[in-house]
Amino acid sequence: MKRLGIISLFIVLFLAFIFVWNLSYQAGQEEAYIPVDKESSITLMPSETGVFERSEYALDYANMPVDENHQRTLKEYYKNRAFHGAPPSIPHPVVDEISMGENKCLKCHQNGGFVDKFQAYAPVTPHPEMINCRQCHVPQQTSSLFKNTNFPQLNAPEVGVNNALPGSPPVIPHQIQMHENCLSCHAGPSAPKEIRVTHPERVNCRQCHVSNNKEVTDIGTFKRATNNAIQ
Amino acid sequence: MYTSLTNRRSFIKKMAIMSAMTAAATMFPGILFAEEQEKNLPKGGNLDWKKAPCRFCGVGCGVLVGIDNGKAVAVKGDPKSPVNKGLCCVKGYHSVMSIYGKDRLTKPLVKKNGQYVETSMKEALDLIASKMKETISEHGKDAVSIYGSGQWTIPDGYVASKLFKGCIGTNNVEANARLCMASAVTGFLTSFGLDEPMGCYEDIDNADVFVLWGNNMAEMHPVLFSRLLDQRLKRGVKIIDFATRTTRTSMAADKSIIFQPQTDLAVANAICYEIINNGWVNKSFVEKHCSFSKGLTDMGYGLEDKYSFNDKPESIDFEAYKTFLQDYTPEKVEKISGVSAKDIKYLASFYGDPNKKVMSLWCMGMNQHTRGTWINNLVYNIHLLTGKISTPGNSPFSLTGQPSACGTVREVGTLTHKLPHGVVTNEEHRKFAAEIWDVPVENIDPKPSYHTVEMFRALDRGDIKFMWIQVTNPMVTMPKLKRYRDACEKEGRFIVVSDIYPTPTTDIADVILPSAMWIEREGMYGNSERRTQYFEKMIEPSGEAMSDTWQIVEVAKRLGYEKQFYYNEATHIEEIYNEYRRHHEGKKHAMAPLEVLKSQPGAQWPYVDGKSTKWRFNSEYDPACSNGEKFHFYGKPDGKAVIWQRPYEPAPEVPDSDYPFWLCTGRVVEHWHTGSMTRRIPVLHKAMPHAYVELNPEQAKDMQIRTGDKVKLTTRRGEIVLPASVNERGVPERNQVFVPFFDENMLINDVTLDAFCPISKQPDYKKCAVKVEKV
Repeated sequence: MKRLGIISLFIVLFLAFIFVWNLSYQAGQEEAYIPVDKESSITLMPSETGVFERSEYALDYANMPVDENHQRTLKEYYKNRAFHGAPPSIPHPVVDEISMGENKCLKCHQNGGFVDKFQAYAPVTPHPEMINCRQCHVPQQTSSLFKNTNFPQLNAPEVGVNNALPGSPPVIPHQIQMHENCLSCHAGPSAPKEIRVTHPERVNCRQCHVSNNKEVTDIGTFKRATNNAIQ
Repeated sequence: MYTSLTNRRSFIKKMAIMSAMTAAATMFPGILFAEEQEKNLPKGGNLDWKKAPCRFCGVGCGVLVGIDNGKAVAVKGDPKSPVNKGLCCVKGYHSVMSIYGKDRLTKPLVKKNGQYVETSMKEALDLIASKMKETISEHGKDAVSIYGSGQWTIPDGYVASKLFKGCIGTNNVEANARLCMASAVTGFLTSFGLDEPMGCYEDIDNADVFVLWGNNMAEMHPVLFSRLLDQRLKRGVKIIDFATRTTRTSMAADKSIIFQPQTDLAVANAICYEIINNGWVNKSFVEKHCSFSKGLTDMGYGLEDKYSFNDKPESIDFEAYKTFLQDYTPEKVEKISGVSAKDIKYLASFYGDPNKKVMSLWCMGMNQHTRGTWINNLVYNIHLLTGKISTPGNSPFSLTGQPSACGTVREVGTLTHKLPHGVVTNEEHRKFAAEIWDVPVENIDPKPSYHTVEMFRALDRGDIKFMWIQVTNPMVTMPKLKRYRDACEKEGRFIVVSDIYPTPTTDIADVILPSAMWIEREGMYGNSERRTQYFEKMIEPSGEAMSDTWQIVEVAKRLGYEKQFYYNEATHIEEIYNEYRRHHEGKKHAMAPLEVLKSQPGAQWPYVDGKSTKWRFNSEYDPACSNGEKFHFYGKPDGKAVIWQRPYEPAPEVPDSDYPFWLCTGRVVEHWHTGSMTRRIPVLHKAMPHAYVELNPEQAKDMQIRTGDKVKLTTRRGEIVLPASVNERGVPERNQVFVPFFDENMLINDVTLDAFCPISKQPDYKKCAVKVEKV
């Protein structure tokens, strides 16, 4: 009787195995579900991507009180740039000469904040995803020059002269490559006071502010022959 | 302008107050400048600010135009306008500059021996009237036609309809809104029996999830999109971009889902399948307020002349509908659409979640579609099955592209089958219109004649001899353009064009009339949320320019209809509007009185008992509801909205080995319509100087094409060379290209296809097959 019980138990287990195996085999026969996921090696639309970055902080920016005593000016902003659009040099000493920057720089420059030592707000980088900071940004170890230079430094665009109509939104007078994220320079306590936006919460900056220096491709064809009588 | 704040402390205080206000309440328009920021700003002096709706898109932003010494010199957003709450987009802010282009048409021009000769307005109008008389007597009343636009003001469209349908007695009245809104109209009519959205922009402030169906809102409806972004900052709403191409909107959205062209039909059905399969149907809503129908399938694409189609709706039951949806499981649809089953379920889960309010938004992506009516129906299905409709935040919302596509073309009814109230095929409607128009009812032809594409085909064939084109630029916008341009240039055709600048359309004109533009005259526009907005005449028209309304009135008088066109020149806009209002009397469509429109930034019809109606079909808000229930879809005789069984059908021309790419066309944020206005605004032209063809970056690399290279596009209609744009404003998928249509020097419509939705007759500019080669 006991033996019969053991045998029947094994039979049940065996049948159960066959049943389960059959189910899993059948399931295996079904076409596999492969989600359609695209991979892209290319940064999509670099000129568009950045605009909306940091927008999650837009309301904080709007609510931040202005720290009158520690504001940067546009003059200071341009001071450590060789020309308008050049990568700024590092105006403070850097401890670790061997490092390429990486999260060391980002500690202060990803989101900014007040630095007691320099009595200033750390500027926010518009491109935190590029972490080899020091391939472009170098410290200035001396104030003397090897030889004097005749480099013709052009004047940077001025504030307040880029409106087409009184009160209309100023156009963007600078190139935006590498600084597609408007809020990083135009909002927050480290923004130069002349160009600090009064309405960071609007987020979609380029619905009102458009570039004034779009490169034109003149391909020379398809110029509409207008009726000369009208012209 | 703003006075500078000398006291620093008070400045900081004001900044803090303002920030608090912006964050807490609403987008506040006043922008304060710090002393150093406004140092170089031009001082505005004492401008006289007057309110108007914006000239450009269908959002209908309220703007304040600064007038100085009789010239429009500045624009700011109207803080009182509930539409834009003081914000504009770059086009709006610079809109007044489009009045002052150097080549503004200021005198009528008549073509004599191939040359345009300046003439007086009186002579030009005499000539038009005599030519019309001559054409009617020689070829019949159906040989004359008028082609207007969603940029017509309400009075423009009204007098056009009255003259042609009521007096002359031809239904040859069409407008370019056929090319942009017709599918939305037929979508509304088939699903609800009444045109235009049930909801309004206030839905944006209430919804939790926004699904954008093929709608690059960040560029095309930027001010509304900024309201979405604003809500995301304040309430953490979700924005889902469901599109065929990666755009600025995709960048801003929380999630971007890409589908293959035309397969939105399948995905919408799959969402409905998921809703039913998961038991997310709002059963009591569906039982009380919905019925099920199916129509004819395999309708064709209208590619042949004189194509006609009439749908035969057939009632079905819920079980039949459920069986039909078995073909649209997410896994099956994944294979057609390229959208993963996971993403389809993700989309469906928002619609299905009873605790989430969902707003669906769309515009040309769904309307310019050879199954445009169907896809409109299908999105309504989703909202009807879940009962997410006609309540604040639950809203299928069809956006428009022109300032008065709704106000004029849809409400006044400047389409071949329409009357201001109802349709020409209905005898009661004809009688009603004839009485107000003071014409014999027999005058109104009960048979619709030509829709837009067919109207130009008729011009080509010679069935139409005379066409008057106002405020639009069909020689840039017609699909398969070359055929219709050649048609206009044929012998024995007489074309009158009323416009403000020389365009490719004035090129084919026999008479060019200079029009008074926007704030150079008085008028009204109606925007996407049923809001009618009035603007006064703020500046004098350029040269001899005359409003489109008065041009038509003058010609009507010359044709002998003085009795019907009794209007006084000084007060005609008011007289016309008051006459027009009579057509819409009643709780379902009453229009606000002119005094109301003058005193506030617009009013939303139905305007009943001194109140705008924000949500139609909902008894809480809509006084026309009369069935005692919470909802009443009174557009249909049984008071029920229709859930339509509409299958997926492929596009008429799909890529093959000869033409392996999809071609999609569209707009950019800087330019509006054909750019005839925006390209004359220096700021906008400098930002976007010419058209281009966008390629997929990886594919461009394979083809060795870089930005600026010449690329030749060839379709079965012809070829065109454009500079390439790789990874700039937008990114199409592999084997797809995108071209904006604003550039009159690179007429992409020369190569597009004139297939249209058989129900709405609206062409599909978004899909045809093209070959792409580096030149």
